[in-house]
Amino acid sequence: MPVVTLYFDRILKMLEGKVGREELINKLPHLALDLEEIQEDHIKVEYNPNRPDFSTDYGLARALKGIFDLELGAPKYDIQDGNVKVMVEDSVKSIRPYIVGLIAKDLRLDEESIRQLISMQEDLHHGLGRDRRVISIGLHNLDVIKPPFIYKAVEPSFSFIPLNENRCMSLRDILINTEVGLKYGKIIKDFEKYPLLVDSNNNVLSFPPIINGELTRVDINTKNLFLDITALELKAALRALSIIASVLIDMGAKVERIEVDYRDKKILTPDMKSLLMKIDFRLINKLLGLKLDKDEIFRCLRRCRLNVVKKGNAFYAEVPPYRVDIIHPVDIVEEVVIGLDLERIKPTLPEGANVGKRDERSSLLDDFRMALISQNFVEVMNFSLLSKKLLYEMVNREFSDGIKVEDPKSSEHEYLRDTLIPCLLQVLSNNTHAEYPQRIFEIGKVFLRNSNEEPVREEYRIVVAIAYSEANYSEAKSSLSSLLYNTFGLDFETKPSFHPTFSYGRCASIRVDNEDIGVIGEIDPLVLENFGLKVPVSLYEFSYDKLEKKFKARR
Amino acid sequence: MKRALHSLEKRVILTLKGKEELSLEDLRKETNLSLDHLRRAIEWLRLKGLLSIRREVFIKVKLDEKGLKAHFEGLPERIIIERLKEKGKASLKEISKEFDRDEFSAGLGRLKDKEIIKVDKGEVILLRDSVLEEEVLISKLYHGRYLQELNEREKKILMELKKRPSFIKEEEEAKIYVKLTEEGKRIDISLEREIDRLNPELLITGKWREYSLRAYDVEAPVSLAPMGKKHPIQRVIDEVREIFISMGFEEIEGPLVQPSFWNFDALFIPQDHPARELQDTFYLSNLESKNSGGDYREIIAKVHENGAFTGSKGWGYKWKGSEADKLVLRTHTTAVTINYLAKYKPHNTKIFSVGRVFRNEKVTYKNLVEFHQIEGIVVGKDVSLRDLMGLLKEFYFKLGLKEVKFWPSFFPYTEPSLQSVVYYGKLNRWIELCGMGIFRPEVTLPFGIKEPVLAWGGGLERLVMLKHDIQDVRELYKNDLNWLRKVRLCL
Repeated sequence: MPVVTLYFDRILKMLEGKVGREELINKLPHLALDLEEIQEDHIKVEYNPNRPDFSTDYGLARALKGIFDLELGAPKYDIQDGNVKVMVEDSVKSIRPYIVGLIAKDLRLDEESIRQLISMQEDLHHGLGRDRRVISIGLHNLDVIKPPFIYKAVEPSFSFIPLNENRCMSLRDILINTEVGLKYGKIIKDFEKYPLLVDSNNNVLSFPPIINGELTRVDINTKNLFLDITALELKAALRALSIIASVLIDMGAKVERIEVDYRDKKILTPDMKSLLMKIDFRLINKLLGLKLDKDEIFRCLRRCRLNVVKKGNAFYAEVPPYRVDIIHPVDIVEEVVIGLDLERIKPTLPEGANVGKRDERSSLLDDFRMALISQNFVEVMNFSLLSKKLLYEMVNREFSDGIKVEDPKSSEHEYLRDTLIPCLLQVLSNNTHAEYPQRIFEIGKVFLRNSNEEPVREEYRIVVAIAYSEANYSEAKSSLSSLLYNTFGLDFETKPSFHPTFSYGRCASIRVDNEDIGVIGEIDPLVLENFGLKVPVSLYEFSYDKLEKKFKARR
Repeated sequence: MKRALHSLEKRVILTLKGKEELSLEDLRKETNLSLDHLRRAIEWLRLKGLLSIRREVFIKVKLDEKGLKAHFEGLPERIIIERLKEKGKASLKEISKEFDRDEFSAGLGRLKDKEIIKVDKGEVILLRDSVLEEEVLISKLYHGRYLQELNEREKKILMELKKRPSFIKEEEEAKIYVKLTEEGKRIDISLEREIDRLNPELLITGKWREYSLRAYDVEAPVSLAPMGKKHPIQRVIDEVREIFISMGFEEIEGPLVQPSFWNFDALFIPQDHPARELQDTFYLSNLESKNSGGDYREIIAKVHENGAFTGSKGWGYKWKGSEADKLVLRTHTTAVTINYLAKYKPHNTKIFSVGRVFRNEKVTYKNLVEFHQIEGIVVGKDVSLRDLMGLLKEFYFKLGLKEVKFWPSFFPYTEPSLQSVVYYGKLNRWIELCGMGIFRPEVTLPFGIKEPVLAWGGGLERLVMLKHDIQDVRELYKNDLNWLRKVRLCL
């Protein structure tokens, strides 16, 4: 979850000095915020990704003012039309078609406000921007560039001095030889041309979505700012822009619109128009289980910095454009919850009687579990995702057609198990220091390829292992007989069989009604050696699902 | 005759055999049994008529304070004799020096009676010197003697000594003697040998009577007996399951592999949502579902794109069926829940599930790639957020967690959403457990579910860790047999 840093001196000042440290910290959960870290001069707060407007201390202060009853209703954001234009060339249409932006004048930046801006930029890149793929944001010192700006696509050989470099680099070079190029290059690298934002003197502002030019670097001396957002989706870009515009205004800047000229149409950004969302009183009271009157609901909404307007006979919440999370009247319900203070909602229990019931299979599986426990077996629990090495090599199986997951963080969790045997041998291997005999079992799902509509079939298996100096085939078979007899009351046969994990001549298939349901035997010394085991191991594994079918067919 | 006798009884009989009678004390010395064991054996044998008990009361005669003084310093008579010895005679005044007047005159009187001295005109003359019988008796009584042990003469002297104040004391003492009865004498206990253990042969033939079992060191430490046991995670699963059932919930179960449609799309999670990316979710390589969601594909596409009839604005992007067909390892059990709700469209139900879920995360002390999730669902015409809070309180109460607080929260498919924290007394802190909320209309309406759907869920491993005071979640899946064997059932 994204994190925002609050320095006490800044945030308490933003709250007009009317709120204390403790009071602030105690209020955070009321806004669905999690305190991540407390330091002497600051705290770090986690916010939910649906609230990108919480990505700066300015944004949080705005919400806190409502909850502390310092300011109610939606803040007013005045924006003037400016005279900066961005011309969009058709060449970007197929690559990264949209650009929006704004001008912020008379900024008074300091180290912390710049840090807040950059942290917001990163959070927006990651969340709304889907790691810069959908939107990417550039901040520029307006005073060193000359509008109008031109957004176009250029050859990869085009070169300029990127931010934090002291030499000219080609766009292609940037993708290969810079950290950001390697990280975000995949968004554009398959295109023949790359997007570029330049001023009227062809000075480079940015190479979106990768990096800005060194020329327009923003620091504490920057007075006037130009900000651009290039995007795959116009809507996402406009949302992000509203969030940024409201923060810049809160910082005390004068924000001006720019005109974006797409040739076929011109748009003015940012658009700070509010959205109207119906206040559904019935829905609110039904979902909350309360009987709130209109005024109470209105007060809650105003505390959440929403205005209430009447249109015809209906009431609407006026939702500021930075509140990108509100898309349905049901979202208004949550605003009421936040504005109301949850302490006021007294828990009740739903009426009506329902009869509880256990899943049949889970209860049958438990019968098997208890039967094995009464044979002195200890239950173990392993993961479904295993390494290729464990699932195949270690147990002497040839690799074929395993079901694999994409891009696992570790090769330890790469293949879905199609047998539980390696898991049990692994447990024995990790426990060579523990007292013998060791008797263990696992009940778990395996994953098998399937030819039907759903390409993966899941099956419950039961696997049992006995390890100690005297472990042998008969003891395992005797345990299996007792298990099957005492649970489903089923007879089985053991027919000589070959399995690469087991010793030749001491391995059998377990058959019920002539169907193969599992394997039993003594583990091959080669495999024992792979697992570093110094005692014989006898083991059996069978398909619970197949067995259950046989049982039900006879019942 | 063969009789079943306890090994203690046998030992007593063997000791008494051939002897007329033994005192309890002697018997204890010879059998080497504790007094307690011996008393028991005697009582059992007496009840069986094999042994008789005789109780005798003895008077033990001991020296009292003055008697002891006389033993160490001599009788007054002796002191007088000693003083006379040097010259054969002395004045009364001379020998009465430092004497208690009464003692002196009594001693003098006795010596006169025995004609050992005579007094003549204020002068005492020693006639002879001899050991007094009293002196002999006193030294005999120094260690105490039973009255019976004294002969008639001694008894007579004792009577005399008793007349002297604080000289002699008498104590009554009971003594127990046992002897075999005639029946007891006939009991045939052959020479006993010690054996280590019984065996069927000894028991069948009755030969065990000829042996006694070697005594063990009953205080010696032993190893733990092997015991089969459920995995601690399974035990918590059982506990949670029982709580749900007691609250009227029905269990549902479903596949771990799910098409993205049910895991994400059906829950109104947009196709470009970060949670759907490879770095968070496990996608199966080269395997896809076909036509996942079936008839619901069209409506779900519209809900995502513009909200359709749900009253929502939607996400405003172009929905792709191919994205929905990608197979994932379910990231939450809600995939199974929504599938169930879409299938049965219940107006009023309570269901729950406990099962594995997967996240493509780096394994750390607090994150696993696979873990268990618990989920409770209530569908009903009039159910509300208050009910959801009430259900959670009840659920926690049954888990032994009595203090609950609720905060607003966010989940992509519920609105409103809450987070709950519970007070965990053992650690003295508040712990985040289950998240909850009411399914968004964008989730329920497309499947024809008209009633509110309350949902809550959370990780199960957290509960297991709290119960066993474990800080590192990886410990739970280590399957360390030493731990599994020792972990307590009752917590």
